[in-house]
Amino acid sequence: MSSSWMFIKTIAKKEVVEFIRDWRTLLALVIIPLLIFPALFIALPLLLQSEAAELDALELDVNWQGDFSEELGIAFNDSNIRITFEDMPQNIDNLSDIGDDLDKIRNQETKAIFRLLENESGWKFSIIYLSTSEASNEARTRMITAISTWESNVVNGTLVEAGLVPEDTLDPVKWDGDYQNADAATKGEQAGLALSLFIPMVIAIWTASSAIQPSIDMTAGERERGTLEALLCLPCSRLELLAGKWLAVASITSAGVALQIGGLLFAITYLASSSVIGLPSVSLVSILLLLGAVVIFAVMVVAFELALAMKAHSVKEAGSLLGPAILFIIFPALFTQVINLDSIESWWFAIPLVNILLAMRELLLDRIIFEHILVWLISSIFYAGLAAWYAAKQFNREDLVASIS
Amino acid sequence: MTDALLSLSGVAKSFKEVDALTHVDLEIHSGQVVGLVGGNGAGKTTLLRLMAGVMEPTKGSVLFGKNRVSNMREKLGVVPESTGLYSRLTAWENIRYHSRMYGIDDDVAWSRVSHFAKMLDLTEALSRHTKGFSRGMRQKTALLRALAHGPDILLLDEPTAGLDVTSARTVRKLVTQLRNEGGTVIYSTHHLAEAQQVCDRIVIVHNGEIRADGSPRELLELTGKETLEDAYVYLTSDKARNRGEDSKDESRIASWWRRFLTGKTPTISEVIEDE
Repeated sequence: MSSSWMFIKTIAKKEVVEFIRDWRTLLALVIIPLLIFPALFIALPLLLQSEAAELDALELDVNWQGDFSEELGIAFNDSNIRITFEDMPQNIDNLSDIGDDLDKIRNQETKAIFRLLENESGWKFSIIYLSTSEASNEARTRMITAISTWESNVVNGTLVEAGLVPEDTLDPVKWDGDYQNADAATKGEQAGLALSLFIPMVIAIWTASSAIQPSIDMTAGERERGTLEALLCLPCSRLELLAGKWLAVASITSAGVALQIGGLLFAITYLASSSVIGLPSVSLVSILLLLGAVVIFAVMVVAFELALAMKAHSVKEAGSLLGPAILFIIFPALFTQVINLDSIESWWFAIPLVNILLAMRELLLDRIIFEHILVWLISSIFYAGLAAWYAAKQFNREDLVASIS
Repeated sequence: MTDALLSLSGVAKSFKEVDALTHVDLEIHSGQVVGLVGGNGAGKTTLLRLMAGVMEPTKGSVLFGKNRVSNMREKLGVVPESTGLYSRLTAWENIRYHSRMYGIDDDVAWSRVSHFAKMLDLTEALSRHTKGFSRGMRQKTALLRALAHGPDILLLDEPTAGLDVTSARTVRKLVTQLRNEGGTVIYSTHHLAEAQQVCDRIVIVHNGEIRADGSPRELLELTGKETLEDAYVYLTSDKARNRGEDSKDESRIASWWRRFLTGKTPTISEVIEDE
């Protein structure tokens, strides 16, 4: 075993052991990544469903002003709306003018007010409601649904009276057959498209954010605790020290990302079993290239974060530097999601960060385009090298010896 | 006299506009316990760091035998002032981490450490995490860590600073024991009495220069004084240099911003006028 590898391995092993002995690490880098997607994709929909069911079961009080339609009244009752009749206010310009009913609706004495007037040309109506109240919104939604059905019945009745067939008159151009059968993309490809819209972003943001804590702890933290000086006295080079610390941070970060992806796959499998989303069909070459892209990305991000953290003189300063730096990952990650991949120019694959994110999107769609791969591979390796060079420069600074402890 | 184990010739060290050391010539021979004595900011720590090979001199050379000391760090054992222990590792794990970096087998390191641990009364604490260690226990652990690989020279930066009387005495006893066994120790301190007690040779550092170098008796003869304290005061009678604000690592923008948001401290006369 070469002495360099012995140094790197010993440093990395010690860093990992020391890091995982902090129980907060387990929470931040194991429990949260593992549970975040199952919580998001399984628990959140279940919670939303239960909330929606609770709202559906509510009987909502609504005041009815103006003219009465028996058919509509029945429809409201069927929608679990309890109606109280009252007079229309006199001093309003039109039915949407709230007038003297303002306090009544703001205080939620009634969830909504339904106003209806019949004239020669038909009916006009309005619903006075409070958009910031869920119950008021729900009352409005139920009434709109009932009104739509009632309106259709009125229209159909009028058309029939005029001797017309409502379906042919209102919908003369029809889709023939099942529109889902007309899509040439397989279920797996559709799933790949859906996943490509957030997996690259998740990997990018999580890699960057989960590397922050160990990066700071192993650099600025060491300076602050006064352990760095003793470390620099050891017979290893600064580059070996950097490599050892990089390996430790990368291992911890990879474990976090792997757990998060594991949680994500579990959630997807759960959703696939309930036919919400299919399992993506991605070839082995795409998977290998995807892993390569993630590794290069991790090399770059971890090296860059280690360099920034080492540049800082204290944990506080490192936090102030690395916190905002995460925005340089989040913004490209967000923007990349909206870039159209069809006929995309190759130069996009040379932009730092964007290139890896686009590459991940393409690979999740199982699109293997040689020219794109060549551009993102070369440019990413170059950027990763640049980040490593910058990190090496920071680790070679002489003033690192001057610990702050 | 034998060839020097460690030699500094024409060494100067500057940090931007600050000259930490101006011109240092020094030779350390095998079997000596050399005390670097000086006040705060005299340049002792910089000198030790140059000897430890973690800093390169701006001018001159620091050699271990015939090689640059930075390439011979495996021959040195260093105890920095901050001790540098990892609190989530046990004392033995801290020691083992360093000895592995020196390529020493765990068994060899353990047998050497247990020998000195008995002397320092630290055997029981070796399996404990260093988180709750007292300053004395930390210092002793750092000493064991520096000795575990059997260094040719031991560099100690103020090893008794902040220690209680008993711990300081134990540390001094260990250094004396090492001297008796033929070890070489460089011992930085600002306590003259301690240097006199432990060291064969005292190097007085002041304002980045070596003002005197010799045995306690030679220093007294050189200055014509009766006590070492008087000799030290005589040799360092010029005012200690003003170090200014320690802002050598701060960027211009950061420095400007800090000053911009710092209020002016009133002078005594202004305060009196206000009253």
